[in-house]
Formats: sequence, structure tokens, C-alpha cells
Amino acid sequence: MTVPLLAVDRLEYRYPGGVVALRDLNLQVQKGRRLAILGANGSGKTTLLLHLNGTFRPTSGEVRIEGQPAGYDRRSLIRWRRRVGLVLQEPDDQLFAATVEQDVSFGPLNLGLSAAETRERVSEALEALRITPLAQRATHTLSFGQKKRVAIAGILAMRPEMLVLDEPTAGLDSHGVTHLLGVLRQLHEAGATLIFSTHDVELAYSWADEVAVFYEGTVRMQGETSAVLGNRELLHRARLRPPLLLEVAQALGMDAESLPRSREALLLLLRERR
Amino acid sequence: MRAIDHYAWTNRWRNRHPVEKLLPAFSLLLLTLLLPPLTTGPLVVLLTALATVQGAGVPLHAFWTVMAVPAAFLLAGAPFLAVSVSFIGGVNLHISPDGAWLALETTVRALAAVSCLAFLTLTTPLVDWAPLLRRMGTPASLVELILLMYRLIFVFAERALTGYQAQAARLGYARFDRSLHSTGLLAGNLFQRGLDRARRLEIGLAARGYTGELRVLTPERSLSWPRLAAAMALVSCVGLLGLLAHEAP
Repeated sequence: MTVPLLAVDRLEYRYPGGVVALRDLNLQVQKGRRLAILGANGSGKTTLLLHLNGTFRPTSGEVRIEGQPAGYDRRSLIRWRRRVGLVLQEPDDQLFAATVEQDVSFGPLNLGLSAAETRERVSEALEALRITPLAQRATHTLSFGQKKRVAIAGILAMRPEMLVLDEPTAGLDSHGVTHLLGVLRQLHEAGATLIFSTHDVELAYSWADEVAVFYEGTVRMQGETSAVLGNRELLHRARLRPPLLLEVAQALGMDAESLPRSREALLLLLRERR
Repeated sequence: MRAIDHYAWTNRWRNRHPVEKLLPAFSLLLLTLLLPPLTTGPLVVLLTALATVQGAGVPLHAFWTVMAVPAAFLLAGAPFLAVSVSFIGGVNLHISPDGAWLALETTVRALAAVSCLAFLTLTTPLVDWAPLLRRMGTPASLVELILLMYRLIFVFAERALTGYQAQAARLGYARFDRSLHSTGLLAGNLFQRGLDRARRLEIGLAARGYTGELRVLTPERSLSWPRLAAAMALVSCVGLLGLLAHEAP
């Protein structure tokens, strides 16, 4: 097996008060994969994600990038964050500039790019999220879904190899979710590695290559999506339910290889059966 | 405030180079302060109102709304300029012709000055001022602070409003004593949230490579010399008329 792009090894994290948030946590992300970190609300997913770009420093254990232990000095952190882009759940925590274009330009300028290069990156990122017409709009007049796209564009403009998204679909309507997943699909096809946290089992099932089930402060199981999400007992202990698609398919007696991964695929299979 | 901000972002002159708006406006302001107000003042108000409404396409009522608040203060304050008090033989109040004239001049002058600022606030969002402030030598951290506050005011106002609505829904403002209590709770809550937000914004910015300087792109806008010249010509006309009126009597 090749060296993972990002690996978390026996990580433990205690909050400043001494409460243990994460313990004995292992996670591997291979290049070009889509990994869903699945856990109930308040289980500490965000705390884990904040370790993946060096915001939090583990009490013990380590995070490795391509096999190298990540450093926490200023220069290492800059290199790290250039490779791993983190999108927070609440876009208002990330957007600070008055216009969309200005906000997205922040990251590339921090990388030391020239104004001309930055402009190029900005228009490319806005294009990728299909929000070019918003470029000159005031940030505070945008809807939640638009802000979310701007926040992602701001990270994308830094061209990270890996994108870490905290609950990317939370608060979006179904149209917004479809749009976002479309954008993420394009990024994935272009070679980006994606990690996202979610409590939405259906989303993880239809979208991820791999799932890591997270509860009680640690990753209990990481593996191929259908294998992990077929494990009822594990999901139950993590306060999650198996995906409906999987349950319907199993109830209809479909074999493990042809399980549908989207509602469209399920409907197609049902039509064929009739 | 929302309305002003809305027009500043959406008016027809939004994408004009800020100097095209700032230079004429400040020149008019200067004329207002230097020249006799009774002729210059009305001309300035007329010109700024025309520029805002006809030029930038901002509705007239928005212009008056911005003018209304300072105007109310002026009208309330002006009579006191006209009245003089003397303490000879008891307290005497009397209105002197000089005082009345002074009150009138001051009011007109102040209104004209306010109209210049009304034009600017309605046509130029704060962001456009930033590059100019920088070029004028304002410390970078001060400009960053101004811009950050501008952005956060709206987040804060939204939180305050939803907080107020949530309290009102549970009758937090039904009685006077409860109102005081609720206001206190809301203020405390907003303060706490503000600190919390600051911490999370720091994480968010760090993820984007923040190293202590909030640099962003300045929009590319070309300065139109003909437009600026035309505007300055108009301003000069106002100045000339004002001067002539000064010489005439």
C-alpha cells in the first residue's frame, strides 16, 4: 500500500481543561480518495478536523503528511495549510472581506502570489463554484448557501491537494446540496483528495469511497463505504442508522455487488425488476 | 443603515473610480465652508441631490432620509444661536438680528455640508475608501480594522436582531422591568458570542494562510479624466456663483 497523503497516528487530544476529546485515533487518507467522517452531532468531528490542518496540536500522537510528521512551527504550518485546505461549517467564520472577489483573493495573496496571478486564481475558483456573477457583491448581502460557496472558493483559490470540509451540506436546501456535490465531484475528478465530516448517513453512502465511523472520541472503523455502512451494530453504537438505500436494496434481496448508490440507481433497478 | 448600504452597493455609479466621486464631493464641501452660505449652500444641496438621484439613480427619498437626521438636530439647535441671554437686571432673552442671521447661515452651511456626505455615503461603499485611505498614509492595521468592523457590524446586527426576536417571542419585552432584564441578558450574550466568534474567525483565517496582514485585491477601476473634469467644471461653476454673490452686495 502506498504512503497515505495524510495519516493520523494514535492521536490524543485533551481540551485545556483536561477533558479528553480525542483518544487513540487513527486515520489514513490515500491520495485521490473521498473519505467521509461519520459521527453524531457533538461527537467531536470538528475537533478532529481542526487537527488535520494543524489548528489544534495533539496532546500525544502525530499527524503525518506523506509519511513525514507534520511540524507546528510557523513555516511548517504555512506549508501544511497550503496543501490541506479546511472549510469550516459556518461560512461567517471564514469570510471577512467586504466583497466576494476580495475575500477569495485573501488566500492566494497570503501564498505570496502577484496581483495578476491572484486575479486568475480568483476567477478560476469563482468559476468552479459557478458564482462568477457574485464577484462584486457585498459579502453580507449573500444567502447562506452563497456564503458557503464563497468560503469554499476562498480555499480552492489556494489550490490545495486536499480539501477538508466540516459538514459541507449542513444548512443547505436540496438544490444547494446537489450543486455543492456537483462541484465536489468536479474537484475529485480533477484529482483532489476530499475529506468531509457529516452525520448524514445517506450522503456518506452515496458519495464517499471510504467511511470512517467516529464516536466516543475515536475512529472505530475505517473502510470501504458499503462494508462499513452495512455494519448495523457499529452504526447503532455510533447513534446512526444504516442508509435507507442500502436497507431497501437488502430488503429486496439484491446481491452485494449490485447495490445501488444513489436514488436514481435504485429507481432504475426497481424499474428493471418489474 | 441597511438602506444606505444597499444603495451604496447597487447605485449606477458603484463601479466608477472612487476619486471621481470623492474629489468633487470634497471640493464642494470645501466651497461650502469657505464661501458665503446663503447662495453657495442651496446650490451645493441642489447639485449633490441631482448627482445622487439623476446621476447615480438613488431614489430621492433615500437622499432625504440621510439628510433628515442631521437636519433635525440642526433645526432643533439653530434657534439657540439666534437667542442671546443677558443677566443685566434679571434674566433677559432676546433675539438679535445678527443672531438670527448667524443661525440661518450656520444651518444652511451645515445642511450643504451634510448633503456632500450624503452623496458620498449613498454612492460609495466603505470598501472603496480603503485604497485611498492607504494611499493617504493611514496605518494598514487601522484600515484593516475599519474594514473588519464594517463586515462584522452586519453579522453582529443580525445576531442582535434574532436574539431580540427570540426574547420578544417569549414576551421578554412585555413589561418595562422585563425589558430591562432582557436587554441586559441580550447584551451579555452578544458580548460572549462576539468573543467566541473572534476565536473562530481566527481559526478560519489561519486556515487560509493568515499571517498577520489582511491583504485583499483592490478592484481594478480606471479613472475617467473626462468625467472627473466635467464634475470639477460643475463644482467650479458653483464656486464662481458663490464668489460672485460674495462680491455683489
